[in-house]
Amino acid sequence: MEWLGLLNYAVFMAIFICIYALLAIGLNIQWGFTGLFNAGIAGFFAVGAYTSAILTSPPEAGRVGGFDMPVPVGWAGAMVLAALVAWPIGKVCLRFRSDYLAIATIGIAEIIRLVIKSEDWLTGSARGITGIPRPFGDLPYIHSQLAYLALVAGVLLVVYLLVERQIRSPWGRMMRAIRDNELAARAMGKDVPSRRLEAFVFGAALMGLGGALFAHLNRAITPEAIDPMVATFLVWIMLILGGSGNNRGAILGVAVVWVIWSFSEILTDRFPPEVAVKAKYIRVFLIGLMLQVVLRFRPEGILPEPQRGAAAKEKR
Amino acid sequence: MTPLLEMRDVRGGYGDADILQDVSLNVAAGEIVAIVGPNGAGKSTAMKAIFGLLNIRGGSITIEGRDITGLKPNQIVQAGVCYVPQVDNIFREMTVHENLEMGAFLRSGDLSSAFERVYGLFPDLRERRRTLAGNLSGGQRQMVAMGRALMLDPKVLLLDEPTAGLSPRYMEQIFQICRDVRDAGVALLLVEQHAKQALAFCNRGYVLASGSNRHEGTGAELLADREVAEMFLGG
Amino acid sequence: MDFLEFVNFYIVPGLVLGSIYALGAVGITLVFAILRYAHLAHGDMATLGAFVAFAAVTLAGVPLYAALPIAMVATALVAVGIDRLFYDYLRERPRIVTVMASLGVALMVRSVVQVIWGVDAETYTRGIVRPENWWGIRLKDREIATVLTMIGLVLCLQLFLMKTKWGKAMRAMSDNPNLALLSGVDNAKVVFVTWMIVGGLCAAAGFFLGLNTELKSMMGWQMLLPMFAAAILGGVGRIEGAVIGGLVVGVVEEVSVMFLPSEYKAATAFAILLVMLIVRPTGLLRGKVL
Repeated sequence: MEWLGLLNYAVFMAIFICIYALLAIGLNIQWGFTGLFNAGIAGFFAVGAYTSAILTSPPEAGRVGGFDMPVPVGWAGAMVLAALVAWPIGKVCLRFRSDYLAIATIGIAEIIRLVIKSEDWLTGSARGITGIPRPFGDLPYIHSQLAYLALVAGVLLVVYLLVERQIRSPWGRMMRAIRDNELAARAMGKDVPSRRLEAFVFGAALMGLGGALFAHLNRAITPEAIDPMVATFLVWIMLILGGSGNNRGAILGVAVVWVIWSFSEILTDRFPPEVAVKAKYIRVFLIGLMLQVVLRFRPEGILPEPQRGAAAKEKR
Repeated sequence: MTPLLEMRDVRGGYGDADILQDVSLNVAAGEIVAIVGPNGAGKSTAMKAIFGLLNIRGGSITIEGRDITGLKPNQIVQAGVCYVPQVDNIFREMTVHENLEMGAFLRSGDLSSAFERVYGLFPDLRERRRTLAGNLSGGQRQMVAMGRALMLDPKVLLLDEPTAGLSPRYMEQIFQICRDVRDAGVALLLVEQHAKQALAFCNRGYVLASGSNRHEGTGAELLADREVAEMFLGG
Repeated sequence: MDFLEFVNFYIVPGLVLGSIYALGAVGITLVFAILRYAHLAHGDMATLGAFVAFAAVTLAGVPLYAALPIAMVATALVAVGIDRLFYDYLRERPRIVTVMASLGVALMVRSVVQVIWGVDAETYTRGIVRPENWWGIRLKDREIATVLTMIGLVLCLQLFLMKTKWGKAMRAMSDNPNLALLSGVDNAKVVFVTWMIVGGLCAAAGFFLGLNTELKSMMGWQMLLPMFAAAILGGVGRIEGAVIGGLVVGVVEEVSVMFLPSEYKAATAFAILLVMLIVRPTGLLRGKVL
């Protein structure tokens, strides 16, 4: 029995790691390869979660949809809508230094949060959306969990391979050239804002997909499901700790941080209630401190960005 | 006589690469000395070496016999060398008067004699002392830039391409300002793109190429030199 | 609705809220212009300031308005400490790394507030304050105090920047950092003075928000967007711009309630921010664009 519980828990963690890995790879495209600061990850995640929920859940009175569509349609819709939300923000802000994008993404995440909380006809406000179909949801619990894990792991593998291919392509080389020396790239006639916009929108679409996978896992989505600041920040610390500019590093960072985060939660839940509440905030404090420590002592992360192209040749 | 400022066999650059291979030059009191040379010769770099903005890996720089090699800019300022960069050499959103005040930032006590000296040299600036420096004409901005550097009463003033981007009329004006500054007792070392005009007006000149000394002499001697003439005037 | 009612219901609250935003926006614009990054922990520093004042009032029994200077000094010192611990060593790295560090600091400062004071709403004083009638315009004492203190603090700041040696050094650093360094300005000292001022202003913004509404651990974070909108609307680096920007954003937020559900107040600041970035990124008073 004990073993089964542990296995259950391990599978549950692994599913979450895969979902967060999608977010981290999305952020890696934006920050690691392009140098764009997105402080509204949770916003794009929520857009994806709700879009897929509305598209695939059964019809419900007093709310738009659900449209009872197949799950893959929901996922595609999640990516498209997250990208559509990202596009105008990027269009406006990417002409400037990334500081402006940071502020604007905080803003858009805040507005998405407000919409989710108050637009009953669209999101069911506080009740959220329930009855979201879960792939393999009819199987017995542990089988269903394992099947869902296989599914998200498969999605993650496909995304990883596609992104890696894209990064090795001329497009990826150009992105790094822009990130490392914007002036030189501009002088060579590269359309810097357009390339950045592509990276920003692409990354946001992956965050939307992560949101969709999360909603289908839980069969429901409510405004309380994610704490926007903490979720956004967790993804940041995962990427920075793992190694920005390196997708394998990003995934490793997700695993390390998520394990620390979850186990610290188990630990603090055993404290008496009045201490446990405080302990939750202390955990958040420590994760903020962890970022500072990484930035100070190992800014390149556990797995640094591999040297590619000209620099790599020089080293050989 | 020992020169006021002397640079001997200086080698160095910004990162690891040496831009200056071997540069020697000196400036005596009461002189205007010009550094000329083709693009990429290391003219401005030589000047930055004096002002402590470079990694120097060989040779020495002295002011009145005192070694200033490797000192920080603010220590070099206190040793009596002031520097006017080529671009962005004024505080645009501060008034002319405040620009001069910033020039004397390291100095405490009464500044009125320093202001008098600078305003005496540049009467135009006295009239516009309450104007924002960014609203002045190109020549006046150069006056502000030089005035700012003169506030600490330096022995040597370094000017990095003071006439870059100015019309011929302003160029002559700047050269006249340089003469006035010299006559007020400050030696000048300047880097110039306009080699012919600069050599015609300076006391002595140095021709640099590929980070090394090529020719030196009085302005007139260099202008008369065939090799120098070929370098700049295409024969 | 007649004009007086419009003033009483929308303009007065708008100007009070705007004064609070202005106090924050001035700090944001100083950091943006002198240190050259967007400081995302600004709102949470304001929260900290508000709660320090709360502690002074409830624990030490300090009179309400005497708690303001205490909170300002304490927060100023915390701001300097945060800079030393978390921002200073990033100075040689791209500035956006400091922006990231400031997001982490925002989270840390907020957690500290939540651990010490919890997440329930608090107030400085109990009981209902009745507004006084000034020729038809109803004003509470604390509303008058908010606007007047904002004006007073901004005037002092302007005087400091225009008249004193270190004030001028701060302007020089904002204007042309390389030339300021060549002129012998000690950057570390400018950074110190800047954080002292910015920390104090943060605390004042938090204090007056707490005084006019209530104290919550999220109060500052929710002010971050309007404060940035105000700084950019006024023009980055422009003190007067930040004040005008703050007042405009405050009034627009209050007036927006006439047309939009009140939940979307925060969205108006975001709209102002985006419109300015599209139409005139230098802001009303021609500030910097980083």
